[in-house]
Amino acid sequence: MPRIVNIGPYRPQLLEPERFELLVENNKIIDANIELGYVHRGIEKLFTTKTYMQNLALAERICGICSGVHTLCYAQTVEKITDTPVPERAKYLRCIYMELERLHSHYLWFGVLAHTLHEHEAFLRIMVEREHVQDLLEYLTGNRINYLINTVGGVRRDITLKKAEKVREVLKNLRSLSDYIMSLLDDNGVFTEKIKGVGVLTRKKALEVGAVGPTLRGSGVKSDIRRDDPYAAYGELDFEVITEDDGDVYAKSLVRARETFESISIIDQAIENLPEGEISVKPGEPLVKEEIGRVEAPRGELFYYIKSNGTNMPERVKVRTPSFANDYAIIEMLRGERLENARVIIESIDPCFACTDRVTVIDVKTGRRREVQL
Amino acid sequence: MSNKISIYRFMSAGCNGCDVEIFECLVPRYKLGELNVEVVSSPEEANVLAITGGINVKGREELKASYEKIQPPKLVVAIGNCALTMEIFDGGYPMVGPPDRIVPVNLYVPGCPPRPQAIVSAIAKALDKTLSMEENYWDAPEGFRGLHEFDGEKCIGCGACAQVCSSKAIDIIDGNEKRLIKVNYGHCSFCAFCQDECPTEAIKLTKKYQMLTDNRNLTNITNEVQLISCSICGRRFMPEPQIEWAIKRVTEKVNVYEKFMDAVRRAMRICPDCRRETENIRDAKKLLLQLSTVARINRK
Ligand code: SF4
Ligand code: SF4
Repeated sequence: MPRIVNIGPYRPQLLEPERFELLVENNKIIDANIELGYVHRGIEKLFTTKTYMQNLALAERICGICSGVHTLCYAQTVEKITDTPVPERAKYLRCIYMELERLHSHYLWFGVLAHTLHEHEAFLRIMVEREHVQDLLEYLTGNRINYLINTVGGVRRDITLKKAEKVREVLKNLRSLSDYIMSLLDDNGVFTEKIKGVGVLTRKKALEVGAVGPTLRGSGVKSDIRRDDPYAAYGELDFEVITEDDGDVYAKSLVRARETFESISIIDQAIENLPEGEISVKPGEPLVKEEIGRVEAPRGELFYYIKSNGTNMPERVKVRTPSFANDYAIIEMLRGERLENARVIIESIDPCFACTDRVTVIDVKTGRRREVQL
Repeated sequence: MSNKISIYRFMSAGCNGCDVEIFECLVPRYKLGELNVEVVSSPEEANVLAITGGINVKGREELKASYEKIQPPKLVVAIGNCALTMEIFDGGYPMVGPPDRIVPVNLYVPGCPPRPQAIVSAIAKALDKTLSMEENYWDAPEGFRGLHEFDGEKCIGCGACAQVCSSKAIDIIDGNEKRLIKVNYGHCSFCAFCQDECPTEAIKLTKKYQMLTDNRNLTNITNEVQLISCSICGRRFMPEPQIEWAIKRVTEKVNVYEKFMDAVRRAMRICPDCRRETENIRDAKKLLLQLSTVARINRK
């Protein structure tokens, strides 16, 4: 007889509440359902009650981990609505801030992975050294999380020569952290054995369910908004879009680990080639129009739609976050797996339910559940 | 109180920034271990409940249920401004918080998110313990966006900060004689828009980040400015310093206006209602005409 196993919603090992309902037979997962909504805050509605500027702070709070990239995507979309040209220097600075965010986000993911795999030593080293990024962000922007660095028309704080020195210094430390993470993933690495072959998402399935970001790239698809639809200064910077073919949790880990080196190199280049000039301009007046914007968040493509009626508040804001796109991939990956692997699989997409929960509730009480109980 | 402190973390309707910072507290530099504290995975094992987020309709019952299961002494700590006031999500349709409307809360840690240092010191305080804080990472860096500070001399009471505030954290309350500007930092997202937009640089975000309190109604700082009364009807309507500031700005820009300043001042001391009276409109028009004439002559 198949039984139903619940994970969550309140499990502190998962950073956020969500309920996974797994249908299990002989310790094998037959099917899965996700129930969301514990973090739903009505943000899309709230967007329409604040001015374009005030909304920056709200966009940022959709998710506290990739907060910066939300403000960037939002600001870029509003820049189209207000016809605001962004200074070159601001574009480069945006790349620096956003890659720092990708770094702390990816490192945090490895921290969580180590925690999940009970690799205490690795967990401590990753989290301790990740603090370098957090300290740097706090020093550059004035806050460790929710740093509100992007604004409509540019960025809010400059990177002076003195600060650039500090950035370079930190990058050196981060290179050694990334090397260490790579060593956890090599043939004798402590992660390798536990995650190789687990939670495979084939290339075909990944495309079918519309996965994005490292989840998609781990299944061998070369997709990255930074390259496919360049924004900020990404068109002028040199970087590789990392892919791995196997589609398992291991492949996704490798993608993230290798991406940290790319991020470090992007920051390096941006600092070297930082153009002189203003860091922001005064935004124009909102025109009556609709616009979309997309960027590559640490978890994949982030998408904004904004409709303006010409007033100082948007009429409609719609956000599609990467975790939402990847949720379907979780279900695919769980099917056929052993129960004890469920958590690491769920975490492998780096789910961010604060993001997703703005959007929807997937009801668990669907036909499928009843079907199986028969 | 038993020696071992076990914390169960409950989150509903926040951004997860606070949750990341709690996770971060496990890093040795934040000394959670020094306090003999562990983070546990079920409410039954815990004697401290840490709440993040403003709680939405779906999280409410779960919160109640978790609270019931917490062991004595059942200490409840609300972490982050969402858990104090729902902050920027206040007014969102699924929101039913803040948490203290659902379960009793003993301590509040303001911030968005609070620094890990603030979270750890809050826990230490709750346990009546002191932490060794000698290392410099306990200080926030220059430019940190922490607790606000008013410069009472500079503030002209114009209310620009309240208008640009991203989280409706600033109240402007006009009393009989004075205007109160009240920054509810427990409702604040620390965006610093107020600091950016203040025309006189009277409001600043400081490096101060320890804001622990057991009464969230006290999480505010205030400033008062004198209101002037309408020279005709006597109603209080505008901050005195704001008028003086405006006059100063005008004379700085167009110095030929200087000799009209008394007339301008007189006109500005009439409240908007009285300004609409016929004879006052006539006077105002006359004044404006004079002003534009001198400006024109001056330009030539
Ligand atoms: S207080 Fe700020 S950081 Fe904490 S959950 Fe709320 S929005 Fe996020
Ligand atoms: S920093 Fe100022 S403007 Fe921003 S939320 Fe706080 S009080 Fe409002």
